[in-house]
Amino acid sequence: MQLNDKASIRRALAAATCTLLGSASQASHAEGSDEKWRVDTSVLYYSEQDRVTVVEPVVFLRKATGEDSFINFRLIYDTMSGASANGATATNTAQTFTSPSGTSTYTTPANQTPLHKFTDQRIALAVEWDKPYDRLSRTIYGINASTENDYRSIGASATRLRDYNDKLTTLTLGFSGSYENVMPIGGAPVPMQLMSTIVAPPPGGGGEDDGGGESGKTKLVADAIVGITQVLTRRTLTQLNYSLGYSTGYLTDPYKVVSVVDTTGATVDYRFESRPDTRLRQSLYWKTAYHFDHDVVHFSYRYFWDDWGIRAHTVDLHYRMELWKGIYLQPHMRYGTQSAASFYTHSLLDTGPLPAYASADYRLGELTTTSYGLKLGIPVGRSSEINLRVESITQSGNGHPADAIGIQQNYDLFPTINSTVAQITYTGRF
Amino acid sequence: MTLRSALLSLAVLALPLLQACTLEPVQPWDRDLLAEDKMQLVPDPVENFIDEHIYFSKEGASGGQGIGGGGCGCN
Amino acid sequence: MTLHRRAGYWEGTFEAMASPCSVLAEVDSAAEARRLLNLARAEALRIEATFSRYRQDNILHRINTSTGQPIEVDDETALLLDYAAQCHDLSQGRFDITSGILRRVWHFDGSDRIPSAEAVAALLPWIGWEKVAWRRPHITLPAGMEIDLGGIGKEYAVGRSALLLEAETRASLLINFGGDLFSTGARADGRGWRVGLDDPTATGNASAGEIEIRRGGVATSGDARRYLLKDGIRYGHILDPRTGWPVPGAPRSVTVVADTCLEAGMLATFAMLMGHDAEKFLVDQQVTHHIIRG
Repeated sequence: MQLNDKASIRRALAAATCTLLGSASQASHAEGSDEKWRVDTSVLYYSEQDRVTVVEPVVFLRKATGEDSFINFRLIYDTMSGASANGATATNTAQTFTSPSGTSTYTTPANQTPLHKFTDQRIALAVEWDKPYDRLSRTIYGINASTENDYRSIGASATRLRDYNDKLTTLTLGFSGSYENVMPIGGAPVPMQLMSTIVAPPPGGGGEDDGGGESGKTKLVADAIVGITQVLTRRTLTQLNYSLGYSTGYLTDPYKVVSVVDTTGATVDYRFESRPDTRLRQSLYWKTAYHFDHDVVHFSYRYFWDDWGIRAHTVDLHYRMELWKGIYLQPHMRYGTQSAASFYTHSLLDTGPLPAYASADYRLGELTTTSYGLKLGIPVGRSSEINLRVESITQSGNGHPADAIGIQQNYDLFPTINSTVAQITYTGRF
Repeated sequence: MTLRSALLSLAVLALPLLQACTLEPVQPWDRDLLAEDKMQLVPDPVENFIDEHIYFSKEGASGGQGIGGGGCGCN
Repeated sequence: MTLHRRAGYWEGTFEAMASPCSVLAEVDSAAEARRLLNLARAEALRIEATFSRYRQDNILHRINTSTGQPIEVDDETALLLDYAAQCHDLSQGRFDITSGILRRVWHFDGSDRIPSAEAVAALLPWIGWEKVAWRRPHITLPAGMEIDLGGIGKEYAVGRSALLLEAETRASLLINFGGDLFSTGARADGRGWRVGLDDPTATGNASAGEIEIRRGGVATSGDARRYLLKDGIRYGHILDPRTGWPVPGAPRSVTVVADTCLEAGMLATFAMLMGHDAEKFLVDQQVTHHIIRG
């Protein structure tokens, strides 16, 4: 080595010093990584304007169980209440809806977008074991389970990560599967069934109102992911993932309907929606983190496509601004566009051929989601933190499509949904 | 926002990656910044998990970052 | 040994390696501060005892009186010899632990007594690391040659003390052995320790400035008190082992801030050895530095 190669002397000297003091591993300990526990407790408040409200406390626990092994716990409790759109469109008369079992009905006043009220509670639990497999790789095994009033799931996952190039490159391969069970309240509808054909059961007898027994529906989901994470420069880290997912079973939303209209655009009936019983999903996801002198920016882009015809682009940006003594402010922006599923339709005609599948669930439609948020983080003690964040999410679509018929043209067939998120989190390390 | 303007923004934001075109390997003693919590690809696991859940229940597209988060009856 | 409470931290001092040493610890209890101070002092004295050339009972003495026979050394000495060998390579021979014998002819006492060219030349055959056979764990020094670890001893002691103390506490510490110092991390308020720089061109102890250090080492190589002055030419105490004479154009003082004290010290020494090119060298190495010429 020459004394006149730029900065290489310093690097070589640093390496020589590390060898002499044997301090490479000590340095990382000084950064505080000999803390065994990390706890994140958080409460989320989510509210859609005039619609659903969710309060969700969450606890994440991470414990170091060995030199390089960890165990992660996740406990989530959700309470949801309010109403969500049932797929029918607003029209000039009051509307009445019946559950598939015929035992309950609800109504919507004229000129309002029909909403289906519900309350639900959900508990979800997950455990992960994260440990080295050999000198260069690690595996993460996980199991998870959740339960709600009308839904249960259980699943497992396994991921292998392997380092290359002196740990500058990491390849990831993961698989997961889950078994899900839906027990719709009010019974599971016959796909595309006309609501007018539902008969209320005779008093004292008839259909169950809790969707139990033979109307419990199952769903199997399998996912795989392959990814590469690469350190590009001292300040830059990037990741590219390809994911493949396959779902089979009952994929329909049992509470959603599609308005059936006549040639004047007046709603004459409803059909319960029907979705295909398989779905193949794929996505390409790219993320980069870049460290300025003090601030850090995270940027990601995802392209999603599936065999239901949905194509979606999502761009996400977080910019963490270090303010003072560890206090930071992090603005966030997310923008997503999605094309409609092939069987998405805002309504069906009462005459003509019946499609095999149809859904008016706005979440399968041509949709744009824009989110803006701000997070404030305040350090607490030596290595803990409290942070607060608020987000505003707006979802919109075409409320006046060209194929709106007659009086439908007077209504917003795709109302914009505004939601607010507020979350407070405490992260403790000890 | 059209696809073209989305791609343009993508290109602009990818500029830091151009710095990496020399791709000289980053030496172990230069990995100080990369070791910081805020430089991890998922710096805040709780926020990330919650956001993934929110958007899973509000959109048709989902996932991409990882697998095995668990299901819910919300979609 | 003393221990005083200052604003927000404890300051402990002791004498070792012929220098005033101190440990500043941001801990609450005096007992804790005393414990840390004792650990640092014990380590400094241990290193001094093991590697000082002034003692007759250590490995260094055995090596220097080996008259050409191979000496087996322990792991710590081996690591230090490896380090010295690497620094010799990196500096193209300018850093050389066998150059200590030049002190027989050079006495930097501020006077004008410089040695004759012949006196210096007579020592050159016994200087040169390339003449030493170092194959771990045996070192063979040709008879008449000596090694001196004084050039890295203090920085090494700072590094070792820091390792020991960091294993005992997460509090922020500033370890300072005679001006070679290391800070283990930012203080509780997020700021660093304020360290004053010596200005050898000023009379008295006037400071050349101040730096704030969170985690890292600071070392100074300089002739604040050791030089010769003849016919208006200043002879700094950094000698080029290849010629036996002081490096021409050496700065009065070089201070470097780096990740460790050892690194800072060696970079400062290298810079001094570069003479006129000291500034360019440190700029190229992209380290925070402060050079005083005069």
